[in-house]
Amino acid sequence: MKAETMIRERAETAQGKAATEPCLIVKGLTKRFGGLVAVNNLDLTLKHGEILGLIGPNGSGKSTVMKLIIGLERPTSGSILLDGEEVAGLPSHKIARKGVGLIFQHSRPLQRQTVFENIKLALLPDSLLKLFADPEVDERTRAIAESVGLGTVLDRRPATLPFADLRKLELAKAIARNPGVVLVDEPFAGLTQNEMAAFADLIRKFRAEGRAVLLVDHNVKSVAALADRVIALYLGERVAEGTADEVMRNETVRRVYLGGEIQTHARPEASFRDTEPLLQVKDVSVFYAKAQALEGVSLHVHEREFVSVVGINGAGKTTLFNAIAGFVPFSGEIAWAGAPLCGRSAAAIARGGIVQCPETRELFGELTVRENLDLGGQRLTRAESDEQRSWLFDLFPILKDRQRQNAATLSGGEQQMLTIARALMTRPRLLILDEPSLGLAPVILEQISGALEHLRRTTSITVLLGEQNVTFALPQADRVYVLEHGRFIWEGSPARFAEEMGTGYL
Amino acid sequence: MLGRLVAAPLFWFAVAAVAVAALLPLWVSGYVLGLLTIAYYFGVFSMSWDLLFGFANEVNFGPTFLLGLGAYTAGIVDNRFGLPIWICIVLGTLAAIIAGLVLALPALRVSGPYFSLTTVVAVLILQNLIVVFADLTGGEIGLTVPDVISIDAATNYWLALGFMVVSGAILFTLSRSAVGLILQASGQDKLQAGALGFNVTKHKLVAFLISAFFSGLGGALLVFYMGTASVSALIDVSIGVQIIIAAVLGGRRTIIGAAIGSIFLIGLTEALRPTGELATLIVSIIALLVVLFFPNGFFGMIARRERA
Amino acid sequence: MLSLQILIDGFAVGALYALGATGFTLIFGVSGVLNLSHGALMVAAAVAAWAAGSDLGMNSYAGAAFGIAVAVVLALVTYGFVVQPIQRSRAIRNEEREIFILTATLLWGIIIQELIAYFFTSNAKTVVPIIAGVVDIFGVRTPANEIFTAIVCWLAIALLWLLVNRTRAGKAVLAASMNARGVTLLGIELSWIYIAVWIIYGVLAGLAGVLLGMFLGVSSYSVGPLTGSAFSIVVLGGLGSVTGSLIAAYVVGYIETLTAYLISPAYRFIPSLLLLVAVMYVRPHGLLGRR
Repeated sequence: MKAETMIRERAETAQGKAATEPCLIVKGLTKRFGGLVAVNNLDLTLKHGEILGLIGPNGSGKSTVMKLIIGLERPTSGSILLDGEEVAGLPSHKIARKGVGLIFQHSRPLQRQTVFENIKLALLPDSLLKLFADPEVDERTRAIAESVGLGTVLDRRPATLPFADLRKLELAKAIARNPGVVLVDEPFAGLTQNEMAAFADLIRKFRAEGRAVLLVDHNVKSVAALADRVIALYLGERVAEGTADEVMRNETVRRVYLGGEIQTHARPEASFRDTEPLLQVKDVSVFYAKAQALEGVSLHVHEREFVSVVGINGAGKTTLFNAIAGFVPFSGEIAWAGAPLCGRSAAAIARGGIVQCPETRELFGELTVRENLDLGGQRLTRAESDEQRSWLFDLFPILKDRQRQNAATLSGGEQQMLTIARALMTRPRLLILDEPSLGLAPVILEQISGALEHLRRTTSITVLLGEQNVTFALPQADRVYVLEHGRFIWEGSPARFAEEMGTGYL
Repeated sequence: MLGRLVAAPLFWFAVAAVAVAALLPLWVSGYVLGLLTIAYYFGVFSMSWDLLFGFANEVNFGPTFLLGLGAYTAGIVDNRFGLPIWICIVLGTLAAIIAGLVLALPALRVSGPYFSLTTVVAVLILQNLIVVFADLTGGEIGLTVPDVISIDAATNYWLALGFMVVSGAILFTLSRSAVGLILQASGQDKLQAGALGFNVTKHKLVAFLISAFFSGLGGALLVFYMGTASVSALIDVSIGVQIIIAAVLGGRRTIIGAAIGSIFLIGLTEALRPTGELATLIVSIIALLVVLFFPNGFFGMIARRERA
Repeated sequence: MLSLQILIDGFAVGALYALGATGFTLIFGVSGVLNLSHGALMVAAAVAAWAAGSDLGMNSYAGAAFGIAVAVVLALVTYGFVVQPIQRSRAIRNEEREIFILTATLLWGIIIQELIAYFFTSNAKTVVPIIAGVVDIFGVRTPANEIFTAIVCWLAIALLWLLVNRTRAGKAVLAASMNARGVTLLGIELSWIYIAVWIIYGVLAGLAGVLLGMFLGVSSYSVGPLTGSAFSIVVLGGLGSVTGSLIAAYVVGYIETLTAYLISPAYRFIPSLLLLVAVMYVRPHGLLGRR
C-alpha cells in the first residue's frame, strides 16, 4: 500500500515539476581509460516523467555514461548532480541508495536463488545486523513481481525461466526501491517483436509514474518510438540532441551511421561461374543461453564474390560469422565447398580456407607487426611466406614502415590493416571481415577500401563483409543482405539497396 | 521464520542426529569418542571455510593459518604465562580475528587467483616462523601445553559436540538470513550487488572475521583438548586440504554438508588405518576422484535430484 | 672469500630455482594452470634417476634421461587426467574452475608423494652426479657438480628462449600465451599447443629435479617445500612473466644463500617469505606481472 501511494505522489509531483527542475544534471563528464577517451565533456539533463534516449554506434560511450552515473566507474572529471547533490565519484552502493536504479544489459540473476529471493535482495537494507527482513518486505516483493508480470514464477530458479522473464526480473530488481532515476541499458536485445512491445509498455509506465528514464539501445527505431528526447553520441561526444525525428535527420548522425555517399561497382550474380555456391548457409539459428541471436538465416556466397551483410550492432553479424568460423554451435546447415562444416574445430575450418577478422581483431599485442604476419604464414614454406609478406607490404605500405613495432602500439587503423594482412597471409579462400570500419577515421577507411578493391580486382579471393557503415559496405559489394534482430530482412544488389533502403535504413 | 524451521524435515533430522550423538558416550569406547571429538572440531573448521567460500566466494587455501594461529597463541600464552585456560582461549581467538583482518586487506583489493595465493603464502610463513622460533613454539617437534580442559573423554566429547552444534547453528542461520543473501550476492556478482546498494567490502570483511572467529576459537579449544600442537597436526598444507575436501565432499554452500564431510573423512581415515602408510594415499585418491567427478558433493547430488 | 663463496653458491641455487620456476610460469602463461603437483614431478624425476642408477644399473647420463622421461610422462598424465577433466566438466561453474584445478593438482601431488614414500621409502636420496671432483675458483673450492648444475640450468633456459623466440612452433606457443583465439583464427590447433607445452614443462621440471637430486639430494618430504618455493618465486616475479620468474629466482636464491651463511641455515626461508608478503601487499601482481 505504501509503495503505491509513493508512486502516485511522485507522479503528481512530477506533473507539477514537469517543465521545471531536472533531477539529473550532468556537466562536462569525461572518462579516460589510459589513452582512450571513452566519454568526452558530455552534458545532459534529465527530468522527472521523461524518457531520454542515448544512441550511437559501438564504442560511442553510451554504456560508459550509464556506468559513470551509477558509480560503477569513476569519472576522470565532470560533475553529476542528482537532485542537487554531487554524486560524481561516489561508490555505486551509495548512489543506488540515493535513488538510481540500473537495468543491466545482460541479465545477471543469482542463479542459486529463486525469483522471489532475487527481488527480495533488492529490498534489503545494507545492514550487517538485520538478520531477518521485516515482514512487509515479503509483501512488497510479491507486489513488485506482480507489477512486472512475474507473479506466477516466484518459486522458480532463473535457469528455468525464459529469456523475457529474466529481463523482467532485471527490471523488477532495478525498480524495487522506487528509484527516481532509472537507467535502462539495451533493453531490447534478444527479445522477439511482441516481447519488445511489452517491455516498451513497462518503460512507458515508468514515465507515467514520474520517474526519469535514461534509455540506451542500438535499435534506433525502438528508441525513437519511446523517447521524448534523444542524444546521439559518437566516440564519446555529443553530436546531436533533440526530438527523435530531428536527431535522425541530422547530417552528422546520418554520416556516422550510414557513411557518406554510396557508390557501387557490383558484378551481377550470374557472372559467377560456380555451379554450387562456395559457402552455403541454410536455416541457421543460434541461441546464447536463452537469447536467440540468429533465427533461421540463409545466405550463400559464390567463389570470388564480395557479399556485404549490413546491420547495426547487435543485429547478429558477429554471431553469424562465429557460426561459420566454428566458434559457436548452431542448428541448421552450413556447407563449404560442397561439404558440411559442422563437427570441425575452428582451427580446422581456418585451415580449410575460411579466415575471420573479428571485430576484436585478436592481435598478438606484444609481438611485432612482422611477427604477427609471420604467424599467419606458419603453414607456408619460408619462400612463400616471404613472398606473401612483401605482397602485403605493397598492399598496406604503412605496415612495412612499422614492421618492427609492437602491435599493441599501433593506431586503430594500423591495427585493422594488420588484422586483415595477417589473415591474408594464410592465403584464405574466404575472408570474413567483421566491422572493420569501427572507430576509424574516414581517411583510413578510404585506404582500407582501396586495399579491398585491389584484392577484388587482382585476386580470386571471396569476401564476406559485415558492416554497420553503409558507405564502407557497398562500394565493393556484389550483393547485399540486411540483417536486423537476428533475421535477414532484405537481399539484393547494392544499387537497389541504395534506392530502397538508403533513407529508411535509419 | 521459526514456523518454517520447525516444519522442515531436515530440522528434525538434525535434532535427532544431535540427540543420538549426545548419547553415544553411553555405548561407545573412549577411543571412538576421541576420534569423533577431533572430527567435530574439524567440522567447525570446514563449516567456517564453507561460509567464506560458499558465500563470499573467496577461496581460502590456508584455513590452517587461522586455526593454527588460534591454537599456537593459546598454547604459547599458557606455556609462558600460565594464565587460566579460558583467557588463553580468548587470546587465541583474538589473535585469529586480527589475522583474519590482516588476510582480508589484500584479498579485498585483488581478484582471481591472487587471493588464494595469499592464503597459501600465509600458511607457509606461519610454518616457517614456528620452526624458526622453536624455543617459543616447540618447532617441528611441537608444543606441549601443561593444562587441558578435561581428561575425561566424555566431557571433551560433549564440549566438542556442543561447540560444533552451536557454531553450526549460528553459521547456518547466518547463511540463510538476509545478511547471508547479501553475502551470496556479493560473492557471485560484486558489480550487481553494488548497483543494488550494498557495500560489498564491508560484508566480505565481516565474513572473513566470522570465519576467523570460529577457526581461531576451534583451534584454541583443540589445543587444550589434545594437550599438544604441532605443524604436522594442525598447520601443514595437507591438513588444510583435508578441511577443504570435507566441505567439498559434503556439498559446498550447505554449511551442514561440511560438518558431515568432516565426520565422514575422519571415519574413512580411521577405517583405512590397517593399510598403514597407504592410508593418506587412498584418502587422497578418493578425494581427487570426488573433485574430478562429483564436485557438488553429497548434498549437491541430493539437491540436484530434488530440483530435477 | 666468504663473499665469493656466497656469490657462487647463490648463483647455483638461483639457477636451479630459475629452471623450476620457468617451467611453472610457462604452464601458467599458456595453459592458465597453477600446477601444485610441481614439486612432486621434480622429486619423481630425481627418484627415478636414482632408482635407475641403483636398481637398474644405468650410468649417470642414462639415469638422468630416464628421470626426465618419467617427468614428461607424469606431466602429460597431469594434463590429461587431472586438469582436462576439470576444464571440460559441466558440473563446475567457470569462476570455480581455477580453485578446483588448484585442489586437484595439490591432491595429485600428494598422491605422487605418498607413492614415492611407499615404494622407495621417505629417506633422502642423492643421485650420482654426472661430474665428480672439486674445482678451485679464485681460491674457493667448489664441487664441480655445482658448476655443472648452474651451466646446465642456464643452457636449458637459453634453449627454451631460442625455441620460443626463434622457431615457428615456439612462436606459436608464445602467441597462444598472449591470445588463444588469435592462434585458432590462424588455423593452429590449441590442443596441440597445450600438449607441446606440457611436454616442455615435463622436460624442464624433470631436468630441474634430476639436477637437484645430484646437487643436494631429495626425499619425498621435499615435495611440499619445492612446490612452495616455485610458487613463491613465480608470484614474486609476476604470474605469467618468464623474465620476472628468472629475476625473482635469483633474488630469492641470493637472499636464501646470504641468510644461510650470515645468519643461520635454519632461517634461510624467512626473508624471502617476508619479501613475498611485502610484494603481496604493495604490488600483488608481482614485479613484472601482466594481469
